[in-house]
Amino acid sequence: MERRVVITAASAITPIGHGKKQITENLLKGKSGIKPLREDELISRFIHSRVYGTVDYPIEYDFKRSHRKTMGPVAYYACQVAKEVLEQSGLTQDFITSGKLGVAFGSIHGSPTVQRDIYKIFFEAKDKASYQGIGAVDYLKSMVHTTAVNITKMFGITGRVISSGTACTTASQSIGFGYETIKYGLQDAMLCGGADEYDTITVAVFDNLLACSTAFNDEPQRTPRPFDKSRDGLAVGEGGGAVMLEEYEFARKRGANIIAEVIGFACNNNGGDLILPNLAGITATLRLGVENAKINPQDVDLISAHATATKMGDIIEAQAIGAIFGNHPYVTALKSYIGHTMAACGAIETIMSLYMMEDGFIAPTINLEEIDERCAIIKHVQKVLTHPVKTTAVQNFAFGGVNTILILRKFS
Amino acid sequence: MTRQEIEQEIKNIFSREFEIENPGMDDNLREKYEFDSIDAIELLLEIEKMLGFELTQEEKKQAMDIRTINQICDYIERIIQTRKTAG
Repeated sequence: MERRVVITAASAITPIGHGKKQITENLLKGKSGIKPLREDELISRFIHSRVYGTVDYPIEYDFKRSHRKTMGPVAYYACQVAKEVLEQSGLTQDFITSGKLGVAFGSIHGSPTVQRDIYKIFFEAKDKASYQGIGAVDYLKSMVHTTAVNITKMFGITGRVISSGTACTTASQSIGFGYETIKYGLQDAMLCGGADEYDTITVAVFDNLLACSTAFNDEPQRTPRPFDKSRDGLAVGEGGGAVMLEEYEFARKRGANIIAEVIGFACNNNGGDLILPNLAGITATLRLGVENAKINPQDVDLISAHATATKMGDIIEAQAIGAIFGNHPYVTALKSYIGHTMAACGAIETIMSLYMMEDGFIAPTINLEEIDERCAIIKHVQKVLTHPVKTTAVQNFAFGGVNTILILRKFS
Repeated sequence: MTRQEIEQEIKNIFSREFEIENPGMDDNLREKYEFDSIDAIELLLEIEKMLGFELTQEEKKQAMDIRTINQICDYIERIIQTRKTAG
């Protein structure tokens, strides 16, 4: 049995805004959410890269203490976007708690803020009183599936829990695995997404790999620069994004607002190096995605590229797109606005793609001033286009050699 | 500490740490305020601070069946009495 899967709600907290109105406005304005790296009084002073995709506006959370007590900052993002998606979807409380709704949600490593507090006690505990500073809930706040299960707890969701923790493909896998779960009849709806909180450890990791941008420390908004000749690496970012996936007939019968259909998903592994991008692996992912969607490559109008703005990653992605899709689809790199939001990027970039499909525009890759000739084989977008988009491919690749592609079709 | 002082201090802890204002003395804390085992562990830490000494693992386990403010006060009185007798 194969069932159709549609998206009936979406919400995101991003460095360029919270919710559709702000995000769409800032995509159209070409506004960057990259800000100076905040001091953490620990390791930030050693980090060469001084930029971060920052959520620096207030968010009015309204969570009861009984829920807050097991939530680190990452779960706040996750639960807030989940709450908004559940409200938008119009699903009844009876359905939400019926066992027919599951959750696929993750983060790259739980809550680093909470983990840091635990390590502090681990290394500094001098007596029993300080040992007791490790709270009963610290594991619940910091474990890798903290986002998914804080969502189930807050809303009484009793279906499946899938908590992918595959770094930068966490959210794209969540949506993809959610899609497959409904497609094959295991659940009727899945709340899917990813989140990550402000974290300097992640920056340090990429910084030490020489993968972070450092040349624009004095002008954060000019980086990252996907596909640009002067790109010099990524900017880490924070945020959260969630979508509601539903089985098509169920959504149609209840009169849900159907935004788009998920028509394909593929996921594979490079089967080798855990860091370096791999042309054969990525090209295979894109081909598998097209086959899964049962479309021709030329049916894809728009590609949301993973495009982190690293030297090699962008070239290999451009070559893979060229090999499968040719020069036909427009290609945009949404990380140019928000940085690399890690576990959230697959969801946030999917949601931005939904907004573009809904409103009939294509947001350009900002900071793309001079296209690197090695990336020039694909159709880049350098200014806002008013253009109908019917089919979008969202691509994400992760440390560990994990590659994903989601293929979305505007619903009509 | 008098019973009245214990009651007042427990109510202060519930307000400050658990955002539960003026609970009834015999309210079932789990049913009415979603006070769970995680909260119970936190409450025991607060009780240790209040009493100025550590509770034993055995004493802590005895607290796990407590459901009401009155039972918490009984528990604290019992601990104080036991320590006095022992000490």
